[in-house]
Amino acid sequence: MNEEILKNLQLFAPELWIVLSLCVLFLLDGFIPKVRESVVPLFITIIACLFGMALTYKSGVVAKTEIFSRMAISDGLVNFFRYIFFFACGVTAYLTLGSKEVEERGRTEFGLLILCVTFGMSLMAVANHLLLLYIGIETVSIISFLMAGFSRESLRSNEAAFKYLVYGALASGLMIYGISLLYAYTGSLYYTDIATALTKVDSSGHPSIFWLSLILIYSGLAYKISAFPMHFWAPDVYEGAPTPIVTFFSVGPKAAGFAAILHFVLGALATKDGENWKPILGDNLSQVIAVISACTMIVGNLSAVGQTNVKRILAFSSIAHVGYMLMGLIGLTSFGVSSILFYLVAYCAMNIGAFWVVGIVSDLKGREDLSAFSGLGWQMPLVGVSMAVFLFSLTGIPMFSGFIGKFLLFGSLIKTQGYLWLAILGVLNSVVSLYYYVKILKAMWLEKPEAETASPKLSVLNAVGLVGLAVPTIWLGLFFGPVVQFVQTALTRF
Amino acid sequence: MLSLMTFLPLIGMAVILCLPNGKPNLVRWTAVVFTAIPLILGIILYNNFDRSTASVQFVERMSWIPQFNIEYYMGIDGLSVPMVLLTVLLSFICVIASWGIDKGVKGYYAMFLFLETGMMGVFCALDFFLFFVFWEIMLLPMYFLIGVWGGKDKVYAAIKFFLYTLAGSVLMLLVMLAMYFYAEPHTFDLIKLAESHGQFLGKTVTLFGVPFALDKIFWIGLFIGFAIKVPIWPFHTWLPWAHVEAPTAVSVILAGVLLKMGTYGILRMNYPILPEATLWASNAMFILGVINVIYGALCAMAQKDLKKLVAYSSVSHMGYVIMGMASFTTAGVNGAVLQMFNHGTSTAMLFLLVGVIYDRVHHRWIVKPDGSKGFGGIAAVVPVYTGMMAIALFASLGLPGLSGFISEALVFLGAFSNPHFQTYTVIGSIGILLGAAYLLWMFMRVFLGPLNEEHKDLEDMNWREKLTLLPLCGLVIVLGVYPMPVMNLMGPTLAKLLALFG
Repeated sequence: MNEEILKNLQLFAPELWIVLSLCVLFLLDGFIPKVRESVVPLFITIIACLFGMALTYKSGVVAKTEIFSRMAISDGLVNFFRYIFFFACGVTAYLTLGSKEVEERGRTEFGLLILCVTFGMSLMAVANHLLLLYIGIETVSIISFLMAGFSRESLRSNEAAFKYLVYGALASGLMIYGISLLYAYTGSLYYTDIATALTKVDSSGHPSIFWLSLILIYSGLAYKISAFPMHFWAPDVYEGAPTPIVTFFSVGPKAAGFAAILHFVLGALATKDGENWKPILGDNLSQVIAVISACTMIVGNLSAVGQTNVKRILAFSSIAHVGYMLMGLIGLTSFGVSSILFYLVAYCAMNIGAFWVVGIVSDLKGREDLSAFSGLGWQMPLVGVSMAVFLFSLTGIPMFSGFIGKFLLFGSLIKTQGYLWLAILGVLNSVVSLYYYVKILKAMWLEKPEAETASPKLSVLNAVGLVGLAVPTIWLGLFFGPVVQFVQTALTRF
Repeated sequence: MLSLMTFLPLIGMAVILCLPNGKPNLVRWTAVVFTAIPLILGIILYNNFDRSTASVQFVERMSWIPQFNIEYYMGIDGLSVPMVLLTVLLSFICVIASWGIDKGVKGYYAMFLFLETGMMGVFCALDFFLFFVFWEIMLLPMYFLIGVWGGKDKVYAAIKFFLYTLAGSVLMLLVMLAMYFYAEPHTFDLIKLAESHGQFLGKTVTLFGVPFALDKIFWIGLFIGFAIKVPIWPFHTWLPWAHVEAPTAVSVILAGVLLKMGTYGILRMNYPILPEATLWASNAMFILGVINVIYGALCAMAQKDLKKLVAYSSVSHMGYVIMGMASFTTAGVNGAVLQMFNHGTSTAMLFLLVGVIYDRVHHRWIVKPDGSKGFGGIAAVVPVYTGMMAIALFASLGLPGLSGFISEALVFLGAFSNPHFQTYTVIGSIGILLGAAYLLWMFMRVFLGPLNEEHKDLEDMNWREKLTLLPLCGLVIVLGVYPMPVMNLMGPTLAKLLALFG
């Protein structure tokens, strides 16, 4: 019994490390108040994330093991997502060092909150039981509400937090109701037990209460990743919250949401069939995902075209990217899921980079609409070039990692025949997305700078960060073999 | 060798970006060096190219992404060699022609060299994925070159070009992926796909419940992507904007090289991999070519802006290429590829000459918007310019003795000898008449007649402008009398291509 607990704790080590770092931060702030306004809390967060990644690397890709009385799971997918979570958390903490939107005396709280969210994200990813998933989602959501309202003096930040709270409460409520209905029907909340219970009944024999429970659970998960139709919170929250926090929101909880969806759909609603998965509910599942993906893409791309606030543009673009990523789930193939994972890696780097530039502009000019970007490419060439790299990568132009992600996603869709309409819709959406991404570049490079004499200087911290994200975006766009290999290996142990 | 020619400009771009600010001449000379070396390598390539075989030469091949069978596969054959030579020549000339750019010189030449890498890569790549990467990365520098250094409506022209071309390219992406997954074995290798042509016959794909033949869908998808580039009516509306608003050298490259990529793509992909579908679509292709010729010529005749006239004349002349290609005869296809080369040189001359006059007086009106004459009788004050313009003009309209005649004659000979298309060919030949009409009418209004007093102090061409135009002049005259240097390159390859069509 004791060895089993020890082994479970070993497999849960990175998350325990997060808890330890949280304690360290708490104690530090409590006993040495002087460090509160210095860079120490953020440094501790960054180091915690680096160590977390090292721990993840050391534990390696293990065969699928159920831990903590089957409530959680440890497998290759969890290992992969841990890297993404720690990366997102660490890079966000790093860029907050140079940001004026997060006030200096709030740095310890920022470190605590972001580590808490990372822990919640990990819970979502390891969950093998619907209640643990719910606890994870709640942890992430509630602390996200706090973080959205981090700038207490800003009216927009308070508005963002309140909108997020109300919407999130609604989504969580719907989800827990759905979970309770599913429990009533299948008699268990463990993913594998749900799958067993569902296979016993023929697909047409499920009562409508089961379909209702699925719709409600979907609404909770869709809210987390901002997919249609639960995406309405994203633009306002992204616009109002402080930019470093939005950077984290656009990457971290989204990745966690995808981890949860992958585990739930592939664990509870499908059975393993060789390399791929067979949906228990029939081919309707893929068709529903296709429709959701199409709607999400269209809503995201078309809404972004008319925006003038760059943060809202990027918010709608995140919604659109979720649409693209959902394409990989169609057909439930191993290739499709591995393309989602690759896309998340590419998306992490390019989205954080884009928001980082928005943060730099926001600190410089105090606002984030398109006119604030005028001529910035000529005044700060490094910012201009790296923003071009990130935005072209988000569009999906070759030589950048975003293209490879789309290449893999469309490839998996074409390989799973029968969804040509979605592939054509997807590529046309990419063309539409070019228009609004280029609007930002047009402001930066094609317009004259506003009447300011001095050329703004770029701090070394920001320069290193931007280059550190732009270069991998290009590298991954050209030499993507190793990461594809890594992602496919992670899936073999799933 | 090919990799060196392709990536030297990219290294040049990196070098230029590291040069100190405020030294435009250093940047310009660096760009000259990094385009001169590929030109010299191009001449070596021309000398060492084996003209007796149709197989690919100067092959460089290594595994790039083994998980997807993607290779770094570069090579040239008779179809790509004239295009490669055209690219290195025009890039070198354009770098010299851009000497007048004085704002953001570093950025301009960096983007220009990046563009040259993309162009060389497109013509040398034999792996579909590699081809696609080079095809799309050309769009980035073009957007900035038009959008930053362009004319009055540069922002609109740049985004229209980018969106339009990207829309075509993404359709190509879908076809590329589909070809990979439907081919046995899964491959992106264009030569292998060509050798196993016919493997897509008989398969269908359903769209909205309607089954479509797989190879026809592939053909249409690829064709739309390339047709936007050529440009084939009705996908041509980006061209007047992009050509007119771009700076002179960029217009030259756009008209001289980028337009040829569309037809090169059709000959490289649609023809060898999907010959049955090409035969199925040949009627439509030929008619579209004729429409291009007539419509382009009529639009050119209506223009009051000199640069827009030349832009529409490009649309018209690319129509001859499509007509030649769709005729499936030796004369027709050889004439089409020769026209690709010749049009590159003659239209380059035209755009450079338009740029010369624009640099002097900052307008290009043949007839000003208020109705008054833009120019008139300037042959009296700029005789050398008039002479060069006359050569470019006559080459463009196809005067015997200059290169345009040979390619147009071959195209029409080939098209007429195909019994299906005789009527259309006769209609298309009206295009030659229209071409003479608008070009000579322009010449008359601008150069002949009484001298317009506004322009009596025009300076004639300086030595730099002459330097950019003389090589093209020479080529146009020599190839008009003896086209074999170029035609020898492409003979065997095109013969092998045509053998597929029987």
